[in-house]
Amino acid sequence: MTMDFISDDQREALQEVANIGMGQAGASIAQVLGEFVELSVPQIRAVDAAEIPAALVALAGDGIASAVRQAFLGELRGEAIVIFSEHSAHDLAELMSYGDALDAPASRELLLDISNVLVGACLGGIAELLRAEIGFSAPSLLADQVSTHQLLQAEAIAARCALLVEVRFGLERRVFRCHLIILMAEDAVAALQRALDRFIEEL
Amino acid sequence: MTLPAAAATSSALLESLVERIDVGVFAVDRAGTVALWNRFMAVHSGKSSTAMLGQNLFAMFPELPRAWLEKKLESVFVLGNSAFTLWELRPYLFRFPHDRPITRGLDAMRQNVTFLPLRVAGGEISLVCGTIFDYTETAIAQCRLHEAIAALNTEKAAQGVLIGKLEAAQNQLLQSEKMASIGQLAAGVAHEINNPVGFVNSNLQSLKKYCEQMLHLITTYQAAEAQIADSELLARIAGLKQTLDIDFLQEDLPELIRESEDGLLRIKKIVEDLKDFSHVDESEWQYADLNAGLDSTLNVVWSEVKYKATVDKNYGQLPAVECLAAQLNQVFMNLIVNAAQAVDESRGMGSVTLSTGHQDEWVWVEVRDNGCGMSEDVKRRIFEPFFTTKPVGKGTGLGMSVSYNIVEKHHGRIEIDSHPGQGSRFRVWLPVSQPAATEP
Repeated sequence: MTMDFISDDQREALQEVANIGMGQAGASIAQVLGEFVELSVPQIRAVDAAEIPAALVALAGDGIASAVRQAFLGELRGEAIVIFSEHSAHDLAELMSYGDALDAPASRELLLDISNVLVGACLGGIAELLRAEIGFSAPSLLADQVSTHQLLQAEAIAARCALLVEVRFGLERRVFRCHLIILMAEDAVAALQRALDRFIEEL
Repeated sequence: MTLPAAAATSSALLESLVERIDVGVFAVDRAGTVALWNRFMAVHSGKSSTAMLGQNLFAMFPELPRAWLEKKLESVFVLGNSAFTLWELRPYLFRFPHDRPITRGLDAMRQNVTFLPLRVAGGEISLVCGTIFDYTETAIAQCRLHEAIAALNTEKAAQGVLIGKLEAAQNQLLQSEKMASIGQLAAGVAHEINNPVGFVNSNLQSLKKYCEQMLHLITTYQAAEAQIADSELLARIAGLKQTLDIDFLQEDLPELIRESEDGLLRIKKIVEDLKDFSHVDESEWQYADLNAGLDSTLNVVWSEVKYKATVDKNYGQLPAVECLAAQLNQVFMNLIVNAAQAVDESRGMGSVTLSTGHQDEWVWVEVRDNGCGMSEDVKRRIFEPFFTTKPVGKGTGLGMSVSYNIVEKHHGRIEIDSHPGQGSRFRVWLPVSQPAATEP
């Protein structure tokens, strides 16, 4: 699918904003977790709603994964999904200063906490560069240890099509790999375009 | 009102709002020193704002999960974004007694907490504000909902079991109805057949006697042939003997009668089986030793079994069982004969094992063989009257249906475990005592 609801200029600007935003996010995440974070270059594309589940599988690969969703609100509106395709609960618990005994609720809370940090840092960074005011709702668990094909069902998606920004995270010295996917519905993209235009003008 | 005065009023309003709002509001700086503690916090924690302000949060609440909370606060300071805790995963941050001391509730207030970054001077984040929402009522409601769903699921499972039982009962009912109607039919047929068989049998006996007499006469005549002088007559007799093949006739006639007798005997046996099947004649209910019954039955059928299989006995201690002993013996006989006939003689001697046992208010008698076994189809039809897998003339197809009815009358059941090529196991379960209502 072509990027028909975002111009080439806007797309370039978004890529740049995302790149800078991720750089800043990486630094602040490292500061919170106390570990060096590996971040991929953000990939941006537009997808049909029906393609979103398959896109998630393509990113996370076949296998078992957990996913957390979190909404962002304000000038920019959408939802972020963090897919944990490979992680050691023990390693993450250490990073987030959880005690040794990690029961089932605590291990879920841990994923929410990590997601909140990643989503907050990345989207916060982008929003700050775009000088857009955004807030976050509490994250919630979308799927807990299911096949990646079941992370999200097409019929559970309200939007018709969406702008998808994907970033891969990893930790150098830990067993940890996850994907952050930012999804903005078609009707919310207009606000993003205005923010991007403003950003381009101010360059 | 002047501008500063308006601002002062507005500020006082805000202050009063934060103080009185029905949400826990507190704030700490990066060192964990408390900078704000509203009335909700004071009322629920029992620590006034005067006592809290300027104090270290962790010093005042040593039970807080310090390392985790510090990390959480730090992430808010560093990222400038909110952080959250949810009651479903972490029931509470502060252990506050809930507001249901009388009506039953939960052990402590359930809380959703949001940690907000506060930029007081406009620049750096200097404070993190925690807002605590009381979710106890929601938690109680959700708990009840879970209980209701669990109860529904339990009920659903129980209903599933009941439906299964109902289906089984219906199948049994169909089976026993079929048995009953066939029983009536069989009784009628047995009665109708008995009369003609009776007079055919009686006539046959007379016929046999007459034939013997006639043959005796003919033999005597034959001995007298030498006395005949008329050569023409002799030639006619010789011709007739030739045409009639009199030697063969003399030989065959008694054989035909013997075969007919045999056939009649078989008809009588079938009629007897049919009568047994419909329980035309009942014996007395009594307490009997099934092990002894099994032994005497084995004696009766020993000639059927001894050349085909070795018999092993594995009897347990049995209490005396209330039963119609003669009828149960018939069941055992059927099972033993069937087991012996299931033996594949091409593989040498088979093995038949008789076992008995006792469990609670039930006893069981088991007949196991290592013979040909049964297919699913045979297993399904085994209790059907006139269903037989034996060659024509060898079985009436009534043995197992008779057994089924006898065991059912004893309020027992027959378990079958059989696989083609691996042998069969029949286990008859019988209650030690019969339910009072059905005793004669």
